[in-house]
Amino acid sequence: MTTLLDYAIPGVPFGCVFALMAVGLVLTYKASGVFNLAFGAQAFVSSLAFVSFVADGWPRWLAGLVAIVVLGPALGLVLDRVLFRRVRTASPLVKLVPALGLLIALPQVALIVAGSAPDIAPPSLFFDAQRVYLHVASVPISGLELSVTVATVAVVIALVAVFRFTPIGLEMRAVVESPRMTELAGVNAGLVSAFAWVLSSCLAGLAGVLLAPLYAQLDSQNYTVLLVWGIAAAVVARFASLPVALLGGIGLGIGQQVLAGYLPAGILATGLRPSLPFFVLLAFLPFARQRQVDDPLAGCDPPPTALVGEATGYRSANLLAPSGGDGAGHAVAGWHRALQARADRGAGVPSAGAHGVVDRLASRPTLVVAWAVGGLAVLSALTWVPNVWLVTMTQGIAFAVIFVSLTLLTGMSGQISLCQASFAGLGGFVAGQLADHFGTSVLVGMVLGGAVAAVLGVVVALPTLRLAGLPLALATLAFALLADNILFPNSWVGNGATGVTVPRPQLGPIGFNGSRSFFVLALVVLALVAALVRTVGQGRMGRLLAAMRGSELASVSTGIDVHRLRVVAFALSAGLAGVGGALYGSLERSLSPDAFNYQLSLVFLVVAAIVGLGSVSGAVVAGLVFTALQTEVATFPPRFSGLLPVVFGLATLSYTRHPEGIVDFLGGGVLRALGRRRQGAAGAGGGDGPGAGPGPADRSSARTAARSAVATGEVAVPEGGGRS
Amino acid sequence: MSDLLVARGISKSFGGVVALSELDFEVAAGEAVGIVGPNGAGKTTLFNCLLGVIPPDTGTVLFDGERIDRLPVWRRSRLGIGRTFQRVELFHGMTVADHLLVAAQARATGRPHVRDLLRRGGPGEEEMAAVASMLALLGLEDVADRPVDGLSLGHARLVELGRALMAAPRLLMLDEPSSGLDVRETERLAGILDDVRHRQGTAVVLVEHDLELVEEVVDRLCVLDFGKMIAVGSVDDVMANAEVRRAYLGSSA
Repeated sequence: MTTLLDYAIPGVPFGCVFALMAVGLVLTYKASGVFNLAFGAQAFVSSLAFVSFVADGWPRWLAGLVAIVVLGPALGLVLDRVLFRRVRTASPLVKLVPALGLLIALPQVALIVAGSAPDIAPPSLFFDAQRVYLHVASVPISGLELSVTVATVAVVIALVAVFRFTPIGLEMRAVVESPRMTELAGVNAGLVSAFAWVLSSCLAGLAGVLLAPLYAQLDSQNYTVLLVWGIAAAVVARFASLPVALLGGIGLGIGQQVLAGYLPAGILATGLRPSLPFFVLLAFLPFARQRQVDDPLAGCDPPPTALVGEATGYRSANLLAPSGGDGAGHAVAGWHRALQARADRGAGVPSAGAHGVVDRLASRPTLVVAWAVGGLAVLSALTWVPNVWLVTMTQGIAFAVIFVSLTLLTGMSGQISLCQASFAGLGGFVAGQLADHFGTSVLVGMVLGGAVAAVLGVVVALPTLRLAGLPLALATLAFALLADNILFPNSWVGNGATGVTVPRPQLGPIGFNGSRSFFVLALVVLALVAALVRTVGQGRMGRLLAAMRGSELASVSTGIDVHRLRVVAFALSAGLAGVGGALYGSLERSLSPDAFNYQLSLVFLVVAAIVGLGSVSGAVVAGLVFTALQTEVATFPPRFSGLLPVVFGLATLSYTRHPEGIVDFLGGGVLRALGRRRQGAAGAGGGDGPGAGPGPADRSSARTAARSAVATGEVAVPEGGGRS
Repeated sequence: MSDLLVARGISKSFGGVVALSELDFEVAAGEAVGIVGPNGAGKTTLFNCLLGVIPPDTGTVLFDGERIDRLPVWRRSRLGIGRTFQRVELFHGMTVADHLLVAAQARATGRPHVRDLLRRGGPGEEEMAAVASMLALLGLEDVADRPVDGLSLGHARLVELGRALMAAPRLLMLDEPSSGLDVRETERLAGILDDVRHRQGTAVVLVEHDLELVEEVVDRLCVLDFGKMIAVGSVDDVMANAEVRRAYLGSSA
């Protein structure tokens, strides 16, 4: 019994650390509706500032004060104002991506500003971190443990009091329910939300500064790991209760210490401990009902661009005609328009040659950009490009395959996955292990790797069937951690730190050892994968997936077996990611267990969303741009080595305004301008038939034209186009 | 007329709140039943329990003589129960025409198979004709190619109704279909319901606050209060019932 206590008591301060994170997450979620995954990054920024100030000779109290009370809240205010305020009522994906982007970007921004992490051991704010102040049941309690425990408990009590007994607490709760209603009641919702961010940012700062001495060196990774534990505790608290978050955190802390004490040494002990959050998440997520944003005034004014954009999702090019009523370019919308056009022709309505090439292209900007970029890449690759860039492009293609798998899963089906890199990694390991042990050809290995990854996809999908949105994202994140800690270190999977060698394939007499030949092979694989996903997206399955993305409740009520559909989507997507991972491994000739860790999964989702989840071509652009930037940044001086995450972090700013993706948005702008000029040249009385893609400028005339076309076509439509 | 839907002893409570208690409810084939009751009486909960969205604590549900209370929602839908939602549930991002098409195709391929992966998505001639005539019935031709997200509430409710009708249901369950509609749109709704009932013999369950619409559509009226059926009968009889007047209309009415 004493041994149990011996393990449990040191778990309490650990638990308070987790609890501090959890309380911060719950607080922002309660007060702003955003699950602020960037909390870990904010904590890191404050701790970096604190340590830097102390290294510069500031007194500890002053450094702490500035880092916690000035810098932290300032950062929080900025984030609220430029980012999170506009996504308060957006869909889970639109809320998640900026937070993930910041989680990746903020530490790098801070490091660039600070120059580098100071190489002193992080000091503690109060007490002496190492000194033992008291004993509890003969377990020594150090200053660090004492300060963390005291501060956490005090913070939770103070926050509960604020929420329960102060007007601002009440207002914070009201703003989440309905910002507009709250404003109508005479409360400045913006101010209240800003206050909530200030409060939670202070907390992040406090967590960062308090926890700094826990590690010998400041590293943002440590905070991300703590964040995952914090997420688990927040889920135990059902995203709602601050006291339960505290208890949950302490429970987790004790749990991990007890596990560490009783499990036999070996892979189970080293793997299971970090995977505890996974099991906790899986056990508690089904109960953590996601907050429904029930704004009674929703629909009173036009939804923000972010919402309109997100809503159109797959093949979102129909944004180009916001209310032209044409839905041009939607994956499966074209057929009805064509039907109507046929009916119009049958009824003798002149179609006015509305299907101009530019119009059609303007409705598919991503496609145009993708073909242009892709064509240029292939052309140059096969002629003059130096080997380094050829390899980069091939990497880009391998990543593009993985991004296409996200297009299928997130873009088309509306499921969020934060474990896509794990699928890719598994595919690569299987291909390598098969080649190593059985001499299987890598081409066969790629397919088998994809198949095994697909099985893993089913394994992920089945326990998460009832989760959606944020809980699903968190569950897949936890799963990625589980794969990193328990699955990949095994000798028969990722082979520990050594990694797995993946040979280049051999197809009869043709070897793919050269860079150019492998490039062509990769291109063929990408073409096959892209064609498959495109076909799926435009086929019957694609329409079912779109329905599932649109509303699962409505889907089941329409007779669609959503559970099975989700399993299929996860399996297919995981399989494709596995193929991409095998392709990447074969290109690199080896794959380390770290190559596809959980952090890369976060990067994948952020990059794919920013560039454009709406289409296969967006994914291809994402893959190429991602690796090209990566290669370019690698040549920068060390201080700017973290520039790439910064770019993606900043790009989330654009994402909140244009969730259709940057390629659609930028490409669309150019092509739309072209289309407008062409239409202007054709004359104002061009008489857009229902087949045209009217730009915003001539929206009203298009609407009139469409109405008159329908008026004349009304007789013909019910009979179909057959009777002409 | 034989009983199409029979529910016996349905109870459901949320925490300490009893939403439904030992409720019996039946609908005959082709019959139109109205359910009225004050807000919070358990009308929507009854819908969700019958359709499987919320599992009831106790009770059995038979559809066409078969037990359906253990079936998943989608299977009940494919047996021939269509529904609409009190708060409109549309497929965000899809066009009006696609809503109808997906419903038509779900009937054939609601359970995805591997072979569906590569099936072309274009509608067959039959499906096209079915969608076109449904659009005409609903009067939605001129918004057919619009994404549903920008539609007015009136149009959105019609799209929901059309989606449910595409599967040619034998029982149509409508949860406050006229809330948010203007007078003309409500008239159109009544016309459509009338048309569907008389041409296809579809049974209708109508939860509604608009008593004029209820009176126009239903054969039989049930009054729900505190999770109990307090009156069943013809509209006139029920409206004359003293208990109903007290519960629903206020004693002074």
